[in-house]
Amino acid sequence: MPSNRNASRKPSQTLRRRASRTSVNLNPSRSSKRQSTRLSSSNSVLLLELGTEEIPAFFIQPALQQLAQLTEKFLKGQRLEYESIRPVGSSRRLTVIVSGLAPKQVSVSQEVMGPPQAVAFDQHGVPTKAAIGFASTQAVPVESLQVRETPKGKYVCAVKHETGQKTAEVLRIQLPQIIQQLSFKKSMVWNDSNLRFARPLRWVVALYGNKPIRFEVGGVASGAQTYGHRYLSAPGLKTDARITVTDPSKYEAMMKRHRVIVDPQERRALIQDQVSQLAKSAKGKVYGEHYDELLEQAVYTVEYPHAILGSFDSHFLTLPQEVLITAMKEHQGYFSLIARSSALLPKFITVTNMKLPKMDVIRKGNERVLTARLSDAQYFFQEDRKVSLNDRVERLRGITFHKKLGSLHQKVARLQELVPSIADLAGRGDLKVVCERAAFLSKSDLTTGLVGEFPTLQGVMGREYAKHDGEHADVCAAIGELYLPGTPEGVLPENPVGMFLGLGDRIDTLVAFFTVGMIPSGSEDPFALRRIGYGLIRIIVEKTLRLNLVDLIDNAEQVLKRHDVIPMQDLPNGPILLEFLLERFRFFAKTVHQLRDDMIEAVLGARPTESCDITDLLARIQALQMVAAQPEFSPLIVGYTRANRIVNKEQWRAHQVKAELFEHESEIQLHQAVSQAQPLIMAHVAQQDYRAALMRLLQLKAPIDSFFEGVMVNAADQRIRANRLSLLRTIDQLFLTVADFSRIQH
Amino acid sequence: MTLQDLILSLHQFWSQQHCILTQPYDTEKGAGTFNPATFLRALGPEPWRAAYVEPCRRPTDGRYGDNPNRLQHYFQYQVVLKPSPADVQDLYLKSLAHLGINPRQHDIQFIQDDWESPTLGAWGLGWEVRLDGMEITQFTYFQEVGGIEVNPVTVELTYGLERIAMYIQGVDHFFDLMWSEGVSYGQIYRESEIQCSTYNFEVADVDMIRDTFDAYERECRRLLEEDLVIPAYDYCMKTSHLFNLLDARGVISVTERTGYIARIRGLARGCAESYEKQRETLGYPLIKSTRQTGQKTNNRAAKSPVPK
Repeated sequence: MPSNRNASRKPSQTLRRRASRTSVNLNPSRSSKRQSTRLSSSNSVLLLELGTEEIPAFFIQPALQQLAQLTEKFLKGQRLEYESIRPVGSSRRLTVIVSGLAPKQVSVSQEVMGPPQAVAFDQHGVPTKAAIGFASTQAVPVESLQVRETPKGKYVCAVKHETGQKTAEVLRIQLPQIIQQLSFKKSMVWNDSNLRFARPLRWVVALYGNKPIRFEVGGVASGAQTYGHRYLSAPGLKTDARITVTDPSKYEAMMKRHRVIVDPQERRALIQDQVSQLAKSAKGKVYGEHYDELLEQAVYTVEYPHAILGSFDSHFLTLPQEVLITAMKEHQGYFSLIARSSALLPKFITVTNMKLPKMDVIRKGNERVLTARLSDAQYFFQEDRKVSLNDRVERLRGITFHKKLGSLHQKVARLQELVPSIADLAGRGDLKVVCERAAFLSKSDLTTGLVGEFPTLQGVMGREYAKHDGEHADVCAAIGELYLPGTPEGVLPENPVGMFLGLGDRIDTLVAFFTVGMIPSGSEDPFALRRIGYGLIRIIVEKTLRLNLVDLIDNAEQVLKRHDVIPMQDLPNGPILLEFLLERFRFFAKTVHQLRDDMIEAVLGARPTESCDITDLLARIQALQMVAAQPEFSPLIVGYTRANRIVNKEQWRAHQVKAELFEHESEIQLHQAVSQAQPLIMAHVAQQDYRAALMRLLQLKAPIDSFFEGVMVNAADQRIRANRLSLLRTIDQLFLTVADFSRIQH
Repeated sequence: MTLQDLILSLHQFWSQQHCILTQPYDTEKGAGTFNPATFLRALGPEPWRAAYVEPCRRPTDGRYGDNPNRLQHYFQYQVVLKPSPADVQDLYLKSLAHLGINPRQHDIQFIQDDWESPTLGAWGLGWEVRLDGMEITQFTYFQEVGGIEVNPVTVELTYGLERIAMYIQGVDHFFDLMWSEGVSYGQIYRESEIQCSTYNFEVADVDMIRDTFDAYERECRRLLEEDLVIPAYDYCMKTSHLFNLLDARGVISVTERTGYIARIRGLARGCAESYEKQRETLGYPLIKSTRQTGQKTNNRAAKSPVPK
C-alpha cells in the first residue's frame, strides 16, 4: 500500500552569481539596472487592494479578517514564504499587504511510498504491473522508482520534484480566486461577471514589488491604479481622480496624502480623540451604552474622520431620554452627550467624512435633520398617549406571538395568571394584584407608533405610557424592565414585580415552544430560546430569588393547558426544559463565578428530583469550591470515596447502627463523631450555611481514616459486618445532604 | 432654485445620460418603484434607461399639514438604469453637482440600506445617500423583482425632491418651499394635505375599501388569465394603495397585515412572470434599438439572449 510521506522540504537553490560581478561594472546606467533586477528578485511587498462602492460598515472587519486568512492559506498552500500579512481597509477598499514575500515558491521533493519491492519487481528485477501502475499514478517514469529500507522491509518509492514557480505567476493565477472566495453576510450581483460581493467591485490594485499583477475579476482589470478620498483627494483634482501606486511599501503613506486613512486602528484612535475633545468642550461626556457600537460604525463608514459637535432645541428634552438617544443613534448614528448629573444635553456628535475650513454648512444640515427626526418622535409620543395601554390590549389580538402559539393577546391572558403565581412561589404573595395588572399591560406598547418606529424601545415606552395613564408605580417600573436583561450581560430588573413579570414572560415562552416541540438543538435556535433561558437563570440567581424551577415550569404548563391554546400532548417536556435551564445555569456558574465543572456536578447530583432552587444550588457550589481549597479536603475525599464505594457496591440501605456491636475503638470514635456532627451539619444546612456544614464535615477526616486503618468492614461475623456497613451508610447519607462528593475530581 | 427648476435640472441631466423622460403614471402608488417604467422594465434582458417625476401617496405619513417633514402626498424623482453602469455613483454625484450641490463642500455619505418591498416581492442592496446627515436619495441595485431574479441588474436612484429643494432653498417646512417663482408648495398642496389626512385617517369607508380590494384582486387575476398583463398590473397597484388606506385607518391587525401583503405580492408576482413571458414572445424589441444608439454602457448582458 502506498503511504504518503513528506520526506524533505528543500529550498530551491538561489544563485547569486551577480554579486561578484557588480564590482567590475563601470557603467552607471547598467549598474542601476542591475540594482533593480536584483531588488525584484529578492523579497518584496505584495499589495492587494479591492476597491469597492461603499461596503456596509459592519461587514468590513469580518471581510478583512477573512481576506487575511485566505491570503495566509493561499501563501502557505503555494509554498510562498513571507514575513507578515497586514489587512487594512475602509468602506471603499479591502486591502491586504504582505511583506517580505519571496520571489519564488519553495521547491520541494516528495517521496511517496509504493508497494513492497518484492511485489514491484519480479525475480529478474523487471517491474511488475504493480510498479508500472504506481509509477503512472504518481506521474513519474517507472525507471525512476527507488527502493527504501523501512521497518516493515524494502519498499518502492517515487521521488517527485516540484520546482518553485515565480511568485508573480502564482499570484496572477491565484489572486482572483481569493477575491472570489470572500463571502459576506449579504451579497449582490451588479454586472454580467456574476461575481457576488457586498457591493460592486470597481477597481483592483495588485502590485508585487513595483510590478502590477494583471488579471481580471468581477469585470475589473487589475493594475496599479487606485482612488483616493472621494471628495478630498489631492487638491485641484476633480472628484475621484485615479492615482497610481508605485511602491506598495509606501501605500499607506501615499493614501494618507490623498485623505484616506486605510488603517482602521488609526481611524478609531482619531475618532475617539476627537469625540472626547468635543464632549469636553460641551462640558459633558459621551453617553456610554452605545459608544462602542457607534464608534465601530463610524470607523468603518468614513475614510477621513472628522467629528463635529451639534445641538438641538432643548424643548425636545421633555421627551423620554431613551427616545432621544435612540433616535440619534438609530436614525443618524450620532453620539449623545450627558452632563455630570447624567441628564441628557441638547447636543450630539457626528463623525463626518469631510474636513473643510468651515464646517457650518455640514453642522447646520445635521442639526436640521435631527430636528425633523425629533419632531416626528414627538408626534408619535403625543399620538400614542391618546390611547391608554389598557385600551390597547384588545389590539394585541392581531399580533401573532408565533403561528403555532396564538396571539400576543392570548399570551397576555396567560401572563395575567402566571405572573401572580410566580410572586406566590417566590414568597411575595402581597404583590399578586400589582403583578396581574403589570402582566395585563405588559405588551400593549407593541401597538404604539414609537415602538413601531424604534422596536428597541419596547418596554421603555410601555413604562412611559403607563406613567402617563396613572398606573401604579410598580406596574410602570415592571413594564419598563420586562425585557431586561436585554443582552447576556445586560442589566437586570430591580423591581420585584419586574422580576416576576420577566420570569413569567420567559418561562411561558419556553414552555410554549417546548410543548410544540420547537426545542433548540445544535446551532439551531431561531427563537433565541437559549438567551431567554439564560436571562431567566440570571434573574433568579443574581436577584437571589428563592423559587423552585420545577414548580415554575409546572405552573407555566398548567396555565398553558388551562388556556387551551395549544393541543397539549402529554409529552414529558417539563424534564427536558428543566435540563435545558440547568444547562444555562451550569454555563452561568462556570463563566460568571468561575466554578469548577466537578463542583457543579457534585451539587447538582445531590439535588432531589422534585426540587430545584438554583439560588441555593449556587450557594452550595460556591461553598464547596471554597472548602475544597483546604488542605484536609483531598484526603477527606479519599476516605469518603472509599466509604461510598463500599456502600454502593453492597447496595446497603440499612442505617441502624448498634453501639454494642462495635469491636474496635476507631468504630466507636467514628460513630461518636458522626452522631455529634450530624445534628450540627443538618442545622447548618437548614440555615443554608454550607460553608460551616462543610467545615464540620472536614473534621470527620481523622475518624474516617482511623476507622479504615483500624477495622476490616468485611468481618466474619455478619452482624458486625452489617453494623459497619450501616455506619458507613450513615456517613454517606450525611455527606449527601450537601453534595455528591463522589463526583469530585481530586 | 425653485422646485420646478430642480425637476427641470434633473430632467436635463438625465436626458443627457440617454434616459427616456417618461411621465408620472396615472395610478395611485406608494413609490416610484411601482411605476411600470421601473417594476416591469426591470424584468428581462432588455436595456432600459428612464427618468421621471413620481407623485407618491403614503396615507400613514399624513400629518394634516402640521409636520414640517411628512406629507401623505409627495414627489420622487426616479431614475432607472439597466444594465447598471460601472460609473453610476459618479453619475449620481455629478447630478448633484448639476443641482449646485458641490460634493466637495458637503458631507455626502453612502450609508448601507437594504431595500425590500414585501408587496412587490422585490429586494435590492444599496444605500441611502446622506447629504450633511439628511437622507436625500435611495440608491438600489435590484436583485429580485416580483420574486424573479433580475439579469441584467437595474440600478434605481430615487431622489426625495422636497427634501433636496428644502435643503437648497434653506427652508424648514415643506410648505415654505418655492414651487415656482412666487408660488409656494403650501399654496398648492396645504389644503390637499389637510383634506386627505382627514380622509385617510378618519373618513375613508373601511367596508367599501375592503370590498374594492377584493374586487380589484379578482379583476387582476382575471386579466392575468386573459394575458392582459398591463391592465392587470394597474389593478395590482390599486390594491396596494387600498391596503395603505386600510393601514392608515388603523383597522388591520398585524396578522391581517401580513395576509394582505401576501395577496398583493401574489398579484405582483403573477404580473412579473406574465410580463417576462410576453416580452420574450415579442422578441425583446428594445434590445435592437438601443444597440443602434451606441451608448457607452455595459450592454453585454443585454445582447446575449438573441430574440428568435
